[in-house]
Amino acid sequence: MNNIEIKNVSKKYEGFLLDKISFNVPAGTVVGLIGENGAGKTTTIKAILNIIKSDSTVKIFNKDIHQDEKKIKQDIGVVLDDSFLSDYLTPKQIKSVMKEIYSTWDEEKYNQLIKQFNLPENKLIKDYSSGMKMKLKIATAISHNPKLLILDEPTSGLDPIVRSEILDIFRKYIEEDETRSILLSTHITTDLEHISDYIVFIDKGKIIMNAQTDKLLEDYGILKCSKEEFSKIKEDDYVSYKKGKYQYKVLIHDKNNFKKKYNMTTIDKPSIEDIMLFYIKGER
Amino acid sequence: MIKGLLKKDLYNLASYKTSLIIIVIFCGVAIIGTDAIYWGSVVIAIIVGMISLSTFNYDEISKSNKYILTLPVTRKEIVLEKYILAIGSTILGALLGFVLTLIIGNIMNYLRPDDLINISIEALLATTVGGIFGISLIQSIQIPSMFKWGAEKGRIQMFIIIFVLVLIGALAGFLLKQSGLSIDIEKLESILNQIGLLIIILISALMYFISYKISYKVYKNKEE
Repeated sequence: MNNIEIKNVSKKYEGFLLDKISFNVPAGTVVGLIGENGAGKTTTIKAILNIIKSDSTVKIFNKDIHQDEKKIKQDIGVVLDDSFLSDYLTPKQIKSVMKEIYSTWDEEKYNQLIKQFNLPENKLIKDYSSGMKMKLKIATAISHNPKLLILDEPTSGLDPIVRSEILDIFRKYIEEDETRSILLSTHITTDLEHISDYIVFIDKGKIIMNAQTDKLLEDYGILKCSKEEFSKIKEDDYVSYKKGKYQYKVLIHDKNNFKKKYNMTTIDKPSIEDIMLFYIKGER
Repeated sequence: MIKGLLKKDLYNLASYKTSLIIIVIFCGVAIIGTDAIYWGSVVIAIIVGMISLSTFNYDEISKSNKYILTLPVTRKEIVLEKYILAIGSTILGALLGFVLTLIIGNIMNYLRPDDLINISIEALLATTVGGIFGISLIQSIQIPSMFKWGAEKGRIQMFIIIFVLVLIGALAGFLLKQSGLSIDIEKLESILNQIGLLIIILISALMYFISYKISYKVYKNKEE
């Protein structure tokens, strides 16, 4: 079963087109939405949440977001990078507001998370550090025990320690109930290697890759070779290449097949960031 | 759901507590200093009514609108909440103005028995209803424009509206004077009594209703 199913999400702005985005977020999985700034990640999330109007089919928990919006949103927790309830409230006041908004609001869970994250209860949010603010947003998003978390850039601008703490929270959230899912957009792809099951890669408003994270890291490889060696490789057998001072670096999408076909074995394991960079910046 | 949004706005407005008390004291002192005691209720009603609109500014600074649209609340509820807050603050401001003017007037009469201020409940009621009409007119124009263009541009517009209203008032006063008619509070009161305060309140309610319909139409299709 899929917690999110989107088909042909399109949205046109001046100078930007989100072009027929389709993907699923299966129950029990973490899906990472990656791409550079301005690629269309946030627009996709906004379309999923019906914050912007788009020509599309968006189903969450098998219901149409355009028809059952209010009901669906009772079961979703959302964290947005640049927007929250108000900067002029304290966590205590947030609690008092949220229990009126969500019918399943779990006050005890919220209190416990606030304590666990060491967040001062009576301090205005505008005086929080960015790490503390993000932890508060996450605590608020998961305290009504949603079936689905949608997170837009939850780790951007945070130091590695806070980022790792936050990833732990997500891991725990998923482990608590196997029907839960997370859709997480980020341009810090290293975070995803540890947590995501699927990667959806958006570039210039189009999906250019949708794959299982493990398989992606297993199948792809970076070949280092000379100019002569590179000239022997057929175009279909690589994604893109980068010309270095002394050697060529080539992104291969089927490492094992490649090794069989060509007698070249210096193939490194790429990171998701490498793959993303080769797709965006590499030559063909 | 609306209760949650109302709570959010009221918590935001709580930071106005001190300013509000100072303004009310200032108005009180100003009332004592003049004979225009009836204007106290109008000024207080308008100030309290205007403060409620500043929740749009708080929303804009915190970029709350985008987040609020991710919550299980409908766009209709979001719009309706702003009107409940605006109308509530107008009623509260009017009540506060009415009661405070009465109290201050009576205290002054007690302190200065040789210089009594004649406090007529009817006249005070008439000016308070006048104040309600004024603030409901401003809010009815302001709220849809804030939904459409945001709080920052809306605020500039607010000053323009107030300026234009004052100008129209001054011009009307000038023309009345030129035409030889004199206007005093009793006359105004009798006019108001003739038309009926209830009708003025009904007109205010109608303005809010039309304004709400426009705001909803604007916000229904707005993208954050």
